[in-house]
Amino acid sequence: MVKLMIAHRIMIVDDELDFGTTLAERLELRGFVAKAVGGAEEAMAALAAGWRPDVVLLDLMMPGVDGLATLDLIKQHDPKIQVIILTGHGSTESGIIGMQRGLFDYLMKPVDIGELIGRINEAGTR
Amino acid sequence: MSENLSRKANYPLFCGLSGRDLCPRARYRCMRNSLLIVMLAITLVPLSITSGLNFIQYQQLLREDSQANARWNAESAKATITAYLEKLEAAITVVIDTHTFEDLSDSKRLEHIFRQLKKEHQGLVDLSVVGPDGIQSAYVGPYRLAGKDYSDSLWFHKALDRRMYVSEVFTGFRNIPHFVVAASKKDPYSEQYWVLRASIDTETLDRFLALADTDALEDIFLLNDSGILQSASRYHGGAMKNFQLTRKPKQNDILIFEEMRGGSSFYRAVSRIPNTPWLLVLDQQGAEARKIWHLFKGRLLLTLILCFFVSGGVVVWLARFLAAKFREADETRDAILSETEHSNKLASIGRLAAGVAHEINNPLAIIGEKAGLMQDLVGLEQDFRYRDKFLDQLASLQNAVARARTITHRLLGFARRMETSLTLVQLNEILQEVLSFLEKDAAYRNIHIILQLQEDLPVVRADHGQLQQVFLNVINNAIDAIRNDGEIHITSRRENQKTVMVAISDTGPGIAPEIQKNIFEPFFTTKGNEEKKGTGLGLSITYGLVQKMGGKIEVSSEVGIGTTFIITFPIYSEGSDGEINDRA
Repeated sequence: MVKLMIAHRIMIVDDELDFGTTLAERLELRGFVAKAVGGAEEAMAALAAGWRPDVVLLDLMMPGVDGLATLDLIKQHDPKIQVIILTGHGSTESGIIGMQRGLFDYLMKPVDIGELIGRINEAGTR
Repeated sequence: MSENLSRKANYPLFCGLSGRDLCPRARYRCMRNSLLIVMLAITLVPLSITSGLNFIQYQQLLREDSQANARWNAESAKATITAYLEKLEAAITVVIDTHTFEDLSDSKRLEHIFRQLKKEHQGLVDLSVVGPDGIQSAYVGPYRLAGKDYSDSLWFHKALDRRMYVSEVFTGFRNIPHFVVAASKKDPYSEQYWVLRASIDTETLDRFLALADTDALEDIFLLNDSGILQSASRYHGGAMKNFQLTRKPKQNDILIFEEMRGGSSFYRAVSRIPNTPWLLVLDQQGAEARKIWHLFKGRLLLTLILCFFVSGGVVVWLARFLAAKFREADETRDAILSETEHSNKLASIGRLAAGVAHEINNPLAIIGEKAGLMQDLVGLEQDFRYRDKFLDQLASLQNAVARARTITHRLLGFARRMETSLTLVQLNEILQEVLSFLEKDAAYRNIHIILQLQEDLPVVRADHGQLQQVFLNVINNAIDAIRNDGEIHITSRRENQKTVMVAISDTGPGIAPEIQKNIFEPFFTTKGNEEKKGTGLGLSITYGLVQKMGGKIEVSSEVGIGTTFIITFPIYSEGSDGEINDRA
């Protein structure tokens, strides 16, 4: 496993916790600091508790507060946190709206881990 | 072929305007015939009825007119003859009243009186005095009749019975048809009646009757009750010939009736001439024999023929025009319905595809991540006995996930075709871009791509990426169709003032007609082989994209020769905003 030079802190916000925790574990194996949360409330609680990520991987379709609203909340909390939407329910329209609100990128599930890390590194170094 | 012919032969002539149960061609033919029959009936039946009524009405009028003419002519002729006779009778009365038998038996005196009378009364042949014994005592005239005995003559006895008598026409001693006007007077001394007689030739009667001759007059003559002609007749001979009337008037009124001669009818007026033994007979042309009737019939016929031709022509044209319009409207409606149906189908399938893709993507991502984690972990365990076998299995699992991902992403791409970003693009540039992806593949398969691109091709307003996808799909299909060794001709040119077109022809096996109509349907595929199985979405997506950008895609193909796709787009111009078709 290649050790990365910068250990970015990644937060995965996805109601599919099985997906989030597995991805977090894989990212940690690759030297990232990763945390999976099940929705917007948990994410905002972690941010409030001082767990500041460099990059957030955000699902779009979640019960309660959806991905775009969560994006707004994160950007309100800290505009410097980069957000990548990682969703199975992608549409260009939501992508464009997200970009207008400060989204870094938009990826479709299932995603290749190599491609994902590439995008995370780009986002983390911005 | 024979089935078609028999179907054509069985087209009903009239089926109303719906004809729902017929094939389209028969329906429009039938509709045209129905319109033709209805409109011909509407125009020509009233025309024929009006003409027929006019014909009957005018014939009736002419008949009445002919009868009135016959009556008037008969009255006129009767008046002429009566006036002549009355004048002559008056003159003879004056002579007989003012002279005695002895006076008039003087030949010189009688001759003087005869000359005076002849001046006033044309046709007077002679004048004579007949004594009570019937012996003619004095005679002035061209014949040698002096001393003739008339004691057995009918006229002499009639004259003795009446004061004034007009005889029938007879030949007498002179043997020439004539009639006499005779007056009798009682001699005061002998108290016997003597007679003054004037004879008139029948030509005089002929002359008077000839005065009544008009164009429409067929014949006019006098007849006695026994059927002996008293004057010459055009059809029945001269005086003294026989002719029997079918009907005779009882009184002095005029009897008019219709008779037939030589196949044509005429009107016969018969009237008695008062104080004579004569019947005036006048034959007047029937209405149908008159010039004016022939003229009317000719004009009516001409008008009818003209109206028939003009109305017929207009009706035929109108029926064809309307049937064509109906057909056009139906075809337009069918095309719109079919297009709407296709678009609705695409939209529904798009929504369905997106839903399915989204729902599958999440579990697929979990599988992918779980397998990935297992790969990571097993990869770290160098001493794990089954390490390589596990890694192989997990790689297969990841491959399966990647394949499934390709499908769901393609489905989403199909759903996403509705979203467009329009810019001004040059079709030639996009074709070149697309060809740069495909040239290697084509060269590998020995497929020659031949370009004929119009250099100054006008720009169109379209989505760059979607146009790429359109051309990529069509050219890819062409390569797949040819497989190996062949040609692809790509032509671009300005089609007219409003459109540009790109034609992509391949030398592949062609598409059967029954397949051609389905190739733009979603999930319809002909790529049945395992190695490169199609999703059946490529051409459907292409169709939707082209329509969305305001263009049109058509296919023409011949089995064994190849297939041509023709894609047209409206040319961008200032003021036209390259309106996007929302139906797709």
